[in-house]
Amino acid sequence: MRFGGLTAVKDVSVEVKSGSITAVIGPNGAGKTTLFNAITGVYEPTEGRVLVAGRDPQRAWTPRVMFGVGATALSTAIFLAVLVRVETLWQSAIIDNYVFQQPFPWMKAIADFFSTFFGGGFFGTWLPLLVGALLGGAGRFVIWSRTRRTPDVIASAGVARTFQNIRLFPELSLVENVVVGMDRRLSTGFLGALFALPSALRERGKARQDALGLLKFVGLADRAETAAANLPYGHQRRLEIARALASKPAVILLDEPAAGMNPTETVDLMRLIRAIREAGTTVVLIEHHMRVVMGISDRIHVLQYGEKIAEGTPEEIRNDPRCIEAYLGKEELG
Amino acid sequence: MAERRFSFFTRGQCIVLALLAATPLLDLAFPSIQLSGPMRTVVVYAILALGLNVVVGWTGLLNLGIAAFMAIGAYAFGILTAEVYPFQVGFWWALLLSGAIGAFAGWLLGAPTLRLRGDYLAIVTLGFGEIVQDGLKNLQAITKGTEGINPLPKPTVPFGAAIQSGLESVGLVSAPTAVGAAATSAAATSAAEGVVAASSNWFEISSATPARWFYLYLILLAVVIFFCRNLEFSRLGRQWFAVREDELAARCMAIEPDKAKLKAFAAGAALAAIAGALFASHLASTGEPANYDFQVSILALCIVIVGGIGSITGVVLGAIVMVGLSNVVLPALTQAMQRAGIGSTENVLSSPDNYKYLIFGLALVLMMRFRPDGIVHTRKAVKK
Repeated sequence: MRFGGLTAVKDVSVEVKSGSITAVIGPNGAGKTTLFNAITGVYEPTEGRVLVAGRDPQRAWTPRVMFGVGATALSTAIFLAVLVRVETLWQSAIIDNYVFQQPFPWMKAIADFFSTFFGGGFFGTWLPLLVGALLGGAGRFVIWSRTRRTPDVIASAGVARTFQNIRLFPELSLVENVVVGMDRRLSTGFLGALFALPSALRERGKARQDALGLLKFVGLADRAETAAANLPYGHQRRLEIARALASKPAVILLDEPAAGMNPTETVDLMRLIRAIREAGTTVVLIEHHMRVVMGISDRIHVLQYGEKIAEGTPEEIRNDPRCIEAYLGKEELG
Repeated sequence: MAERRFSFFTRGQCIVLALLAATPLLDLAFPSIQLSGPMRTVVVYAILALGLNVVVGWTGLLNLGIAAFMAIGAYAFGILTAEVYPFQVGFWWALLLSGAIGAFAGWLLGAPTLRLRGDYLAIVTLGFGEIVQDGLKNLQAITKGTEGINPLPKPTVPFGAAIQSGLESVGLVSAPTAVGAAATSAAATSAAEGVVAASSNWFEISSATPARWFYLYLILLAVVIFFCRNLEFSRLGRQWFAVREDELAARCMAIEPDKAKLKAFAAGAALAAIAGALFASHLASTGEPANYDFQVSILALCIVIVGGIGSITGVVLGAIVMVGLSNVVLPALTQAMQRAGIGSTENVLSSPDNYKYLIFGLALVLMMRFRPDGIVHTRKAVKK
């Protein structure tokens, strides 16, 4: 991952076993959060790939995308060609055919429309069509290529995350926050929503129940209807975890979940993370609290200056001289 | 979103609808003023502002060109219904089609521009408003330029004639004398045909029956409120809120903000277009393109802000206060003063009608100072 000339994370490879708890540690500025951002699509990695269960979650160049580009090109072309000569077309199809209060000859009007539409010569018809097709097709193509790896694609593939500087929806209630997290599992469409169809209402009720269950799981059920912004800091972190879990992800990335928590809250958090793992979700976390890291991790990766310097079990890391050096500095000799 | 069972309207929505429904009663009390006619514009602006509320209040996108979609709706309605064009579809089909055309226009504008952030999007919508207005002015052959399209049809009550004849046949309503009592069902149908022409038809709407016309518009407003309320508490509404609050976090929850925004834009444009169609039908003309200028967009924005951004009840209340003031109270006051000989048409300062922007400005300043969330606020109290 490079930003201009600055290489923030270089050649880091982290393999996470399904159903394990993996920690990424390292001094401030080592590139841990950048790594998370590159994984979840907040940044586009300059090199490298992310594989989830052996597959690279990306919007592929499918026939559907191809059809979308083609359809956009065609409709933009027609739109532009009609737009540049809209008055001429109107004149020939409508005004010339309509006699006030007489029946309108529809077939003749349609025929006249097409003959005028294609009779505009190079500058009237074909150039606008060409420019429109190029603009529309290129626009749609660029949008596709730029949104291939956006966070919503990664999240849809089952990778959920929390943020180092908490990013809740502050004016929504706790339940609503969690239900938003559930979005990828819901199927209500526009019409269902507009008419409040029974299926939509049923789904809404069920989503709410599930959300309350998740709030109970993280221990916030009693404040379900308050605004998220009114929660104390430690609770906000737990709400964020509940929101991330709501999508039933395969992997959950926790960015410093214990930051700003007091010792009791930290112990609760460790219990919570273990419970998440017991429920079958793979956990990857960034953390500075060594007690948390050493207490729950199956495997630890250590980053420094954007490079991985060590990997192993908590035991191995605790005794690794390079890690001790990275954290505590080198002992002055002599 | 507290635990809610299915209900048609919340209490606040019932109150504002009842408030509006009561205004024709004032006509009975004060026959000299006749509020029902001008009150239709309150309903039209309420629908327009509800459309804007979807975009600004719920999705957090600043749209300064909502009047353009109103214009598109009005002109679509005009072209579809007026006799000088060959289409001549009925009122209801034209209303629906105008809404669809408005949604399409919103989608067309939104698809390439919604990836812009904040202020840039506001500038694009502002420009779009000007382009539409200029386009309508200059496409003489299609839109009749500054003349406007007229005459446009009044609304009809669907199945009004059938209901009327049904009521007559069970004896609830006395049939017009010219046709006579309808005893058999065959006679009832022929009575219905006669009734359409007769002015005693309960379901006929004309400028002579402003209260009926107003109530029809009010029912449409109720339907719009119902749809808005459904959207607000649906999955789509939650997506809009999430995008408004934190776009990146919403993205990380597998929501595609671009799609959610596009839907909001199209829904808002559709409502604005329907408001435009109702406005054109109310005037019996689209009026000139300048009827849909930047000031209309700003008025709609003021309604949303003063009423309570994001609250359906608040927005309707805002429309009652703002448009009620500018289109109903001030003109009535001006008329009354002129009749009493206090104000004269020569002296600009003596007419209260001319103070409306002063009052709007003052109202906005006072609202910002004392109640920045609007008259009604929905947002959960966030401790500061």
